[in-house]
Amino acid sequence: MAAQDRTAEGIGDGIDPVLLGIINNNFVNICREMGITMTRTAFSPIFNEGLDFSCVLFDRHGNMIGQAEFCPAQLAASLFIVRWTVEELGVDSFEPGDVVLHNDPYRGGAHIPEHSVIRPVFHGGELWGFVANVGHLAEIGGKAVGSFAADATEVFQEGLRIPPVKIVSRDENNLDLWRLIMANHRTPRNTWGDLNAQIGSLRVAERRLLELLDRYGAEFVSQAAEELMDYSERWMRAEIAAIPDGSYEFTDWMEDDGVVDEPVKFHVTVTIDGDRMIVDWTGSSPQVRGPINATYGVTSGAVYNAVFHVTDSSIPKNSGAYRPIHIIAPPGTVTNVVYPGPSVGGNTETHPKLVDMVTGALAPVMRDRVAAAEGASACNFLFGGVHPKTGDYYANYHLEGCGWGAKDYDDGNDCTIVVNGNCRNTPVEIFETRYPLETVEYSLIADSGGAGRHRGGLGTRRIMRVGAGAEVTASALFDRTKGEFRAWGLEGGLPGGYGAILVKRNGDTEFRTFPEVYGTVSASKFTNILLKEGDEIMLDAPGGGGFGDPLERDRDAVARDVAEGIVSPEAARDVYGWDG
Amino acid sequence: MTTVGHWEPIVTQIWDTVITPCDCCGQVVAKRLWVVDVDGEEHRFCSTRCEELYRTHVVPQRRAETAT
Ligand SMILES: [Zn+2]
Repeated sequence: MAAQDRTAEGIGDGIDPVLLGIINNNFVNICREMGITMTRTAFSPIFNEGLDFSCVLFDRHGNMIGQAEFCPAQLAASLFIVRWTVEELGVDSFEPGDVVLHNDPYRGGAHIPEHSVIRPVFHGGELWGFVANVGHLAEIGGKAVGSFAADATEVFQEGLRIPPVKIVSRDENNLDLWRLIMANHRTPRNTWGDLNAQIGSLRVAERRLLELLDRYGAEFVSQAAEELMDYSERWMRAEIAAIPDGSYEFTDWMEDDGVVDEPVKFHVTVTIDGDRMIVDWTGSSPQVRGPINATYGVTSGAVYNAVFHVTDSSIPKNSGAYRPIHIIAPPGTVTNVVYPGPSVGGNTETHPKLVDMVTGALAPVMRDRVAAAEGASACNFLFGGVHPKTGDYYANYHLEGCGWGAKDYDDGNDCTIVVNGNCRNTPVEIFETRYPLETVEYSLIADSGGAGRHRGGLGTRRIMRVGAGAEVTASALFDRTKGEFRAWGLEGGLPGGYGAILVKRNGDTEFRTFPEVYGTVSASKFTNILLKEGDEIMLDAPGGGGFGDPLERDRDAVARDVAEGIVSPEAARDVYGWDG
Repeated sequence: MTTVGHWEPIVTQIWDTVITPCDCCGQVVAKRLWVVDVDGEEHRFCSTRCEELYRTHVVPQRRAETAT
């Protein structure tokens, strides 16, 4: 059924469809305006450059009724975070002007740096709904600068954990709580600015939502939200029903967990049963010691992310769209960490692999909609120290774009942030103006896109040198740097290129691995290495997998790749059979 | 689909970290569990929706696995 037919058939049984569309667009645009407020008022590059936050609307029962183009992982986790918060605190505990803060990974969160702020919206003295903002604070204490401890073995090392608490009561800051939080973060001024940017975005959303309720009536907008959720549910059910019934399985691996140098197994069974989908992660490894465990919010978010990639993108994204999708994630496994297991890397390294696994499982029956695996590493690079020019302490969380998988109809995207985030690239100028890191090279890596009839996207190389008079404490959490753990191809497509994080100490002539230079357990995951003036660090993001036989690639496309330096002449000859 | 069941509150002390997962989906439950008997065994679910999923998917799947 075409989307247009479905729209006409499905949406017209209650409120006028045009009006319903207007209400839905209002919900989406309120979220977008929250986002603009965030980027313009936050202190940290992770927000105003990286866009690592998400803005969402909920009804009074905790159903998501609106979202915009933010981070899929945070959007999905917000479903659980807001419902948890409302259930745990009790719906009657909310008063006008309150803001609840929450970053607990065991209460629906994606990982501990992600801080949610939630504000109730009252209309005519009645609770109508909630507005929420989920944002990744760049520094929240814990053992590693930048709060991304790649060798953490329990949550207490990952940062300050906060269950749902009121940070603002009736529009008055709870300053005792603020002081407690800021005393445990390394860059408290940024915490103050960034959390207030999040809270400010809630006030903007509340104002806009109240305008909408005044204009159309609270009862009417509630009814519209209900109808929109039912509409999304019907549409999603129709999409799922179009997939052949059956159970489809997939297995993938992570190279290590940062603490124990052994591969970690992930397994999924996707069952299509009429108009419902059941995604079962039974068979995955038991919870591991290192921080690549996924929370329930992460695993669920990955499933929703995958499903939204292979279904009609026009489905309004609200709780209704999620109803036909069921997730089983056994507690105590890498897909559902239990207290006090660590999980900071589960949101960045595990989530994208889980997304690819769900689409990989469905590939035999949805080949025109799926892609080969992406680089699937956020290439998390954390650094901090005292800036030699200002004397101020700084800390930053940086992520790199990697290559995405090729599809049956196109090459994969180059240098794109992992599928769990819609985050933006941090410009070279930010490193050089705010931090003592000079960029030596920033380039696409030739031959890093998995070969195929359609080629995987390319990863990037970034080399940075520690500036004069500076010391930088660095941590990293990468994956796909060795062995058989590269981004897999489909239908004869080859794997993408390796990722890497290497160091060249001042005076050395070549880059080497961190185990070679500093004796870390993992080459891709380590914490708190001190880099000194003149040391250089190389961040290589992995490439995406290819789709189809490389020998079938269009010859003009191979020639263009060679001319642009995307594929080397040697690879063109040896892998693509090119004789140009 | 739901048979006789009841909601049971999760009682915690202030120092407790809540770690009660649903017997079906695995997610941690905040305040109350849906307690119900399935095939002579007591189960604790996050919702009646998970009871239905358990009865219509997990149980038949386990039976099929045992049969093979
Ligand atoms: Zn459940």
